[in-house]
Amino acid sequence: MSELTVELAGVRFGYGAAPILDGVDLTLGAGEFSVLAGANGSGKSTLLKLLVGLLRPNAGTVRVLGGSPTDPDIRRHVGYAPQGLRMATSLPVSVTEVVAAGLAPSKGMLRRLDRKDWTRVTEAIEAVGLGDLSAECLFELSGGQQQRAILARALVGHPRLLLLDEPTTGIDQRLRPALVRELRHRADDGATVIAVSHDPDEFHEVCERILVLVDGRLQRITHEEFHHQFHEHGAPG
Amino acid sequence: MSRLFIDFAIQAYLAGAAVGIAAPLIGCFLVQRRLSLIGDATGHLAFAGVAIGVAVGVAPIWGALLTALVGAVALEWLRAKGRLAGDVSLALIFYLGLALGLVVLSAHGGLTASSTGVLFGSIFTITWLDVWTIALLCALVVGAVALFYKELVAVALDEETARASGLPVDSLNVLLVVLTALLVAAGMRVVGLLLVAALLVIPVAAGARLAHSFRSAMLWAIAAGLTSTLAGLVVALLQGTIAPGGTIVLAAATVFAVAAVVGRRAARRHPRSSAA
Ligand SMILES: Nc1ncnc2c1ncn2[C@@H]1O[C@H](COP(=O)(O)OP(=O)(O)O)[C@@H](O)[C@H]1O
Ligand SMILES: [Mg+2]
Repeated sequence: MSELTVELAGVRFGYGAAPILDGVDLTLGAGEFSVLAGANGSGKSTLLKLLVGLLRPNAGTVRVLGGSPTDPDIRRHVGYAPQGLRMATSLPVSVTEVVAAGLAPSKGMLRRLDRKDWTRVTEAIEAVGLGDLSAECLFELSGGQQQRAILARALVGHPRLLLLDEPTTGIDQRLRPALVRELRHRADDGATVIAVSHDPDEFHEVCERILVLVDGRLQRITHEEFHHQFHEHGAPG
Repeated sequence: MSRLFIDFAIQAYLAGAAVGIAAPLIGCFLVQRRLSLIGDATGHLAFAGVAIGVAVGVAPIWGALLTALVGAVALEWLRAKGRLAGDVSLALIFYLGLALGLVVLSAHGGLTASSTGVLFGSIFTITWLDVWTIALLCALVVGAVALFYKELVAVALDEETARASGLPVDSLNVLLVVLTALLVAAGMRVVGLLLVAALLVIPVAAGARLAHSFRSAMLWAIAAGLTSTLAGLVVALLQGTIAPGGTIVLAAATVFAVAAVVGRRAARRHPRSSAA
């Protein structure tokens, strides 16, 4: 469990002149489960995009799974669930098709998904509680159901690093504990999990630590410290 | 009726069917990614290619194919760099292609009835060599889509996440425009360079109304494309003087109208739940 899966050192980033991240350091190992918190606009989504190589830092280094986040061989082992639906809605797309798309990179070019792959797709859909809706068109589902389909796409390939941007936002309160447990199972199996959340409490029982972005820097704190610092004045964001 | 089965009619059915199947197939990916104007722009650029081909003594289809390929890859390169944002830059390319073709063709005395055929189709005068060339181009399109189906779908669904997960998104985008160029060249004789993009878009719009998944939308779109080309050809053959390029696209529009009505009926009969 000593293998480092996330290594950020002195990471600075800004979309324009103003820095969003201003010296972020972080190391995480296999099997660690972290919640990433911070006010709206503090840079949580930006940090995840740096970790998946969709953005490059202005300064500092980003390494995941021992390599560059833009290396295709590394990327195949990273599961990323963006915040909300980022899809063109011109043509219908079924839940099954969205989730199966998560297997395309690890399967490799010119190879069709086989029966084992489709079993994995079914399992991932059931893990997020969409079993009854697998044949439905994604765009006709509610926001929470869409978010769960996007989560299943990130989970289906059993990646070693899971980067989830607000995986529980918009999802029915009653369904959240099962999702949180599923993520804990993935960590127990050795995956590093980072889940962005406005409400770290929902991960209280499963995650080791909270990472909070404040003024472009990352603080590692416990649940107790989080309450102490933020809850008296209401949750950040 | 017998004119429906004479030689040139059979050739037209074969070429029309090939394009009617391949165009919606590639069109699904273009429409989903809002790239259908790239098909249009490629068609317009290909007109300049035909003209240059005529000027240097090359058959129209090869001039069209070469410029379509170069033009499509260049357009994709500009798009990837964010230089193709907005409709003005695409409109510029449309008119540039047409004007350049017009100048070169007229300078070489080639502005005859045959240029109308290039722009609006000339399927009733094709040779067997044309039929096989068109079939080959369409087979390449169908084969490539079959080979890279899961990657193309993943990119069409969500380009950013596909990139983050390690798919070679840029190469797949180039593949898509190259296939579009092949299709444009294949469709030139059938419906013409100005109307070929209609077959990339209209059957797909029809398929989208009838399906709940990408795959079924694609199959419906192919059925719509095939029906439209064959129906359009039959109408043109029976009537005798009207241009098949026009009847094919009008048939596609009719199929779309039917699909829109049927799709809305089906949606009303099975209202979808939208619980959280
Ligand atoms: N593509 C972008 N271009 C310019 N500014 C952006 C972009 N994306 C986000 N920002 C800005 O960067 C800051 C951090 O955004 P983000 O990482 O999305 O925050 P969070 O996810 O914590 O709410 C915000 O002020 C936001 O407005
Ligand atoms: Mg965010």
